[in-house]
Amino acid sequence: MILTGSEIQKEVQAGHVVLSPYYRSRLNPNSYNYRIGPILKIASGSSLDAKQEVEWQEIEIPEEGFVLQPGTLYLGSTLEVIGSTRYVPSLIGRSSLGRLGMFLQASADLGNLGAIHSWTLEIKVVQRLRIYAGMDIGQVSFWKPFGRVFLYEGVYDQFSHPTPSQRLFTFDMPGDTDDLDRSRNRT
Amino acid sequence: MILTGPEIEREWGNGRIWITPFSNRQIQPNSYDFRLGEELLYYTEETLDVRRDNPTQTVRMSEGGFLLSPARIYLGHTLEVMGSDTYVPIVRGRSSIARLGLFVHVTADIIDIGSKNQWTLQLHTVQELRIYPYMLIGQVTFWKVQGEITLYQGKYQGSMGPYASRSYLDFVQEPED
Repeated sequence: MILTGSEIQKEVQAGHVVLSPYYRSRLNPNSYNYRIGPILKIASGSSLDAKQEVEWQEIEIPEEGFVLQPGTLYLGSTLEVIGSTRYVPSLIGRSSLGRLGMFLQASADLGNLGAIHSWTLEIKVVQRLRIYAGMDIGQVSFWKPFGRVFLYEGVYDQFSHPTPSQRLFTFDMPGDTDDLDRSRNRT
Repeated sequence: MILTGPEIEREWGNGRIWITPFSNRQIQPNSYDFRLGEELLYYTEETLDVRRDNPTQTVRMSEGGFLLSPARIYLGHTLEVMGSDTYVPIVRGRSSIARLGLFVHVTADIIDIGSKNQWTLQLHTVQELRIYPYMLIGQVTFWKVQGEITLYQGKYQGSMGPYASRSYLDFVQEPED
């Protein structure tokens, strides 16, 4: 079940959904518009390697905006702290920007229950596109889960700026130590 | 909760889901396959700006179809007028189309409840690909909501054919409250 806009508002007031800062005017019929913060991270080099640490260049979007180039991956972050211990957040782009060929969270749009932070945005454009810091860039919806809840305790929770992949060196076979330990702790 | 195919058909019959034209042959186990309309739109300039009303060109596809280039974003539209005041629609590409590298609406797949239009489809292809009018291009699913419903009254309501981005309207005045 997806929360309607008025239900999101109710759950923000009840403290079950975190959207901070919160503006009622950013509420949609079944989602909330989030904004992009001023910092972008850009991977250096045209070819990345999942086993190698990537070197990231950090830029601040100036007042006159910044032109994103096709063929490059950008990491941004939400201005808002977003999350919930009760509902599963799903972060997607906005149709107005998708119509300009800007895709974000295209592959991994689902957040974890209990992860409450500023979210890192994976951004790609089809054509060159000038964007501005603080603009509305995406929307988040909240979904009611079914089943017992255990909350996120992963590595990305502590970050409030664009955070590159921290999963570079986990090449264990399925069922290796980490997963086993976690499932044992929970039973 | 997602509606099954038979439930989509039932709720279409009850008038709680709009799909026009509707064909029960396009019902899937938990979605409805929609078709691509005739009109395509693209931007005439290479560099776009979210603050500007970027100029566009519209083409009407003939039977011979249209060759999409990976270098551009194209806006197509659903042949069907679709929407619901009861359920939230979510748009997906069809897997057969994705297997050819055509991404349909990958970034903003959730439609506002109450939005009743021919939906604009964001089309991006990885390799050059020829597409044709009326082809089955995507699927729509319908989801149950929790909470009181406020219907969409946004800037794309009632649109027919592909609509270019109106993101520049966001910059006209800063939202308050």
